[in-house]
Amino acid sequence: MPSSTSSSERLTAADRPGVAQPVPERPLPPRPWRAMGTMVILLVVLAISAWEWRMRELGLRAGDFDDGASLWAEQRRRVDAEATPVVLLGDSRLLFDTDLARFQTLTGVRPLQLALAGTNARPFLRNLADDPAFHGLALVGIKELSYFRDGIGLSGDALERFRYESPAQHISFVLHGGLSRCLAFLDEEYRLSKLLLRLDPGLRPGAQSPYGDVWKLRSTEMDRQTRMWSRVASDALLNAHARSVWMRRPAAQISDALIARTVQETREAVAAIRARGGEVVFLRPPSAGELRKKEEAELPRQRGWDALLRGAQVSGIHADDDPPQSGLDLPELSHLSAACATVYTDAYVRAVTRVTERLALRADAPAPLTAADCVATAR
Amino acid sequence: MVFNSLTFVLFFAIVLGLHSLPLSWTTKKINLLIASYLFYAAWNPPFILLLWISTAVDWWAANRIAEASNPVRRRAWMLLSVIANLGMLGWFKYGSFLLANFQTAVALLGIDYQPPKYSIVLPVGISFYTFATMSYTLDVYLRRAQPTRSLLDFGLFVTFFPHLVAGPIMRPTELVPQFAEPKRASSDGLFFGLALMSLGLFQKVVLADGFLARPAELVFDGAKAPGVLDAWLGTLAFSGQIFCDFAGYSTTAIGAALCLGFKMPDNFRFPYAAIGFSDFWRRWHITLSSWLRDYLYIPLGGNRHGEARALRALMLTMLLGGLWHGASWTFVVWGGLHGLYLCVERGLRRRYAHWRPGPVAQIALGLLTYTLVNVAWVFFRASSFSKAWSVLAGMFGANTDAAPILAAGHIAAVSLIVAALVMTHWLMRDRTLESLLARTPAPVLTGAWAAMVFAIMIEQGAGNAFIYFQF
Repeated sequence: MPSSTSSSERLTAADRPGVAQPVPERPLPPRPWRAMGTMVILLVVLAISAWEWRMRELGLRAGDFDDGASLWAEQRRRVDAEATPVVLLGDSRLLFDTDLARFQTLTGVRPLQLALAGTNARPFLRNLADDPAFHGLALVGIKELSYFRDGIGLSGDALERFRYESPAQHISFVLHGGLSRCLAFLDEEYRLSKLLLRLDPGLRPGAQSPYGDVWKLRSTEMDRQTRMWSRVASDALLNAHARSVWMRRPAAQISDALIARTVQETREAVAAIRARGGEVVFLRPPSAGELRKKEEAELPRQRGWDALLRGAQVSGIHADDDPPQSGLDLPELSHLSAACATVYTDAYVRAVTRVTERLALRADAPAPLTAADCVATAR
Repeated sequence: MVFNSLTFVLFFAIVLGLHSLPLSWTTKKINLLIASYLFYAAWNPPFILLLWISTAVDWWAANRIAEASNPVRRRAWMLLSVIANLGMLGWFKYGSFLLANFQTAVALLGIDYQPPKYSIVLPVGISFYTFATMSYTLDVYLRRAQPTRSLLDFGLFVTFFPHLVAGPIMRPTELVPQFAEPKRASSDGLFFGLALMSLGLFQKVVLADGFLARPAELVFDGAKAPGVLDAWLGTLAFSGQIFCDFAGYSTTAIGAALCLGFKMPDNFRFPYAAIGFSDFWRRWHITLSSWLRDYLYIPLGGNRHGEARALRALMLTMLLGGLWHGASWTFVVWGGLHGLYLCVERGLRRRYAHWRPGPVAQIALGLLTYTLVNVAWVFFRASSFSKAWSVLAGMFGANTDAAPILAAGHIAAVSLIVAALVMTHWLMRDRTLESLLARTPAPVLTGAWAAMVFAIMIEQGAGNAFIYFQF
């Protein structure tokens, strides 16, 4: 008999204490399910086609992959599987600002891109230092405020995924990659909840609105060749939004103890890589305008970059010191446009060849590019 | 693999295809068994061994129990099964927790014990399938069920992929008889199953992960102490998230089983419309609460030995139910709070046995129940007692200088979704989903179904694990 609190329409195990539970009831509601299902398929195909069209109108493209943990782990595994001569570590700056094809044209080497947006390169450098399979050259691109901090940042799961990727995760990654080659709307930054929550321009003072989060900034290929998304350079709203996000970030408090710890850990990692015959060179890609001033105020070069190179006894190339790396186009002050990334790559590769013998220019390497070539090489 | 992943879409399409081929029923069951092992191995292949151990031990023990005429021997075989299952669960789920508590306890005696460092990976869903297999041995021991004659059927009962890792926790008498005869869904049944899967995935991918998880994270995982509004909304967000996550999983599982022609039991019955806590536990995670009632509360004496023993059994059951959810004292407190609620309610029901609440009083009692359920959720969600106290302090106005945490968009999303959820539960509290579907015009159902599938696809989802996988 149903209790006073149970559904009057069906009993469950809650209504039958201390007895064997029977085979459950699961009546089929008398509706034309097959016809409804067929109509649902049709409606969804139509709606998804319209959505795909709209997303392409907004500038999304098929073949722009989700730069998630599995994509990174796949590249990271190549370090162990191949005799990798050059690996790029760092944050979004070296990620956006490197043209892998230009690197290869200049040196004959296509580096592995292991930099991660919003992520501290230090744990990844340590990971490489602990990997006996790595004997090559690690180029570590840093933004000081990413590197001189204790947390790992946005992509801490990448290392975990490299250490263990379940078969299910790998298959989903492969399938998602296949779909992303055909469908533009599969973009993490343009999912339904993000689009809706960003309608709130920050109506509640003091609270962090998703409107103030970083929006789509990049497009990514399967080998993690990453470029600034073209709309960030061309769309005034997206450009202004990105700038405001960087400028509104609260000032970081970087203590002497944190700097000392960072230098110490870097020195140990560099020493471990060198002990196996490898080498490490640091890069400081450019930033511009008010953002550069803000960064300098938060961690002056002398306390950060210079102390790091000195303390870790490692070579480094700061964009401010190399004229070919200056005067490039940084549409949102923090990252180079896709076109200028090629010019910057050209410049820093040449500079690296001057500080280490682990990388050399090909005899038939093309002539150096200049800021004027940003337009000429635009994609 | 998780239901909300592309891997599962491919897997399920293959399973459905194989199940529709003109093969013998035994071959189809073998296919389902292999598919279920693959489903589990997709997380971590070596853990299949645990499934095999669980299957072998309970198959063997149940047969020995059925053969034994001596009560002592029957009891010994039953205990062997219980110890093997709980031992496995204890090692993998509670090993680190027990060691940490032992370390703390001996430290109080002035002993500095440093345990050896080791890392235990928790096999996904171990709490669910150990409870399912134990119910088989216990039902045979309690003479509620005969042991199944087919090892294939028993193996499939343990591993059947829709219920394997997060329930509903099925009893052998619910599922094993279904393996006796060939099962295949009709085309209408198949599409109804797909509709239920769409509903479940909509709850999980869109509502739980898309809109409710983040506000809960901001309040419970952030460094700021929340004020009244943020503390309540963060907690309400979690109450919606955990329902949509877990009920979404159960609905998807029921739908997947239906697509193959099998029936699985209800696991939720609109719990946020509960009036009182005994009602809540008849509606929330029904297959766990009834499992604990049948195999723990009743054997502890239930309500057969006076009020004091009944209350003791109730508290013990709820405390252990809390611990089942996770190896942390916060879960024990969550269970303890629900035990306390149930004890107080029991006392009130005895004292006011003749009172029949009218409609207004029912709504007030329902809201009171939901409020107290939310207070308990704080301990369930918080990663530490200090965080739990901080959120509770916020809920009751003690964090006077708290800075705002949730943006207006989050506030609107949580308010809309949770209000709609609670109202739906209230309207549906004496109905079933099937009866609602039977009364709704087909064009309306078609539009709603298509909208849910479209929303799932454009939300994309990140393949986030279901919350209950960790339990």
